[in-house]
Amino acid sequence: MTAQTASARPALIDPRGARFTASVTAMLLLVDVALGLVGGVAPTFAERAVQPAFLLLVALAAVFVWSAAAGVARNPWSVLFRRAIRPRLAPPAELEDAAPPTFAQGVGALVTVAGVVLHLAGVPYGLVGAAAAAFVAAFLNAAFSYCLGCQLYLLLVRAGVIRKRPAAA
Amino acid sequence: MDPLLALAVVGALVAVSTVVGLAWRSAQGRVRRARTTDAVELPGVELAPGATLLQFSSEYCSPCRATARVLGDIAASTPGVAHFEIDVTEQPELAARFRVLQTPTTVVLDAAGRARARIGGAVRADALRAELDSLVGARASVAA
Repeated sequence: MTAQTASARPALIDPRGARFTASVTAMLLLVDVALGLVGGVAPTFAERAVQPAFLLLVALAAVFVWSAAAGVARNPWSVLFRRAIRPRLAPPAELEDAAPPTFAQGVGALVTVAGVVLHLAGVPYGLVGAAAAAFVAAFLNAAFSYCLGCQLYLLLVRAGVIRKRPAAA
Repeated sequence: MDPLLALAVVGALVAVSTVVGLAWRSAQGRVRRARTTDAVELPGVELAPGATLLQFSSEYCSPCRATARVLGDIAASTPGVAHFEIDVTEQPELAARFRVLQTPTTVVLDAAGRARARIGGAVRADALRAELDSLVGARASVAA
């Protein structure tokens, strides 16, 4: 999704901001997994649409879609980091490209939107499974600086899903 | 689901993710000896007399930039060693031929173009230098 449209080089970001964003996201996804397990899947569509786990996942999916489209620097948690936390820290050792974490936000958007749809359709454990998958990626990123784009992007290239952009002639 | 059981499941999820993360991190940067000894045709890559560091990179990869700096420094400071960076989006066939599963992946080629070692993930300079010492040093003593 973002891979083929990202033509302009995005800005440089503080890598600690990306880790902070991943940490907050992972915590919220874990809360959502717990809510989804406790609440289960309600019998009617109208009831499913107001379950706490569903509402939280909708909010998280909206944030993922926004940060994938607008860049991870505009993610609300990144903004919070810049305004409230970064001024209290020493300057970062080095900045990094915003493209890899923005790609990860796009993957998060796909997974959480799938969870939202599966839950509305009444699929058992659809929401829990999607939130858990997104949690694992966000947690590995936050705790181990695991790079989702380094693995997933390459698999998409090798599967032929992502192709070389035609050279501007 | 019972809240206590849900809490246990959530705890298990965190525990399994932690184990996966530790395993992943310990594999990053480890130098592995290559098992195949076939020379590979590399269009556009001029092999160095000692060793050639072939780095596979992609756009959505922050450790690739750090690895490019480390490999560039090593190539600049080690006679007979060269560094080439390949974007997997530009050459997916080459990435498939070397069975690259993540970026960055660095393949150490000898003077004949045979893969001698590979490193998945961000490269640690000291581990790679030790590998190059044994590779280039051994060849030098054979030639003498």
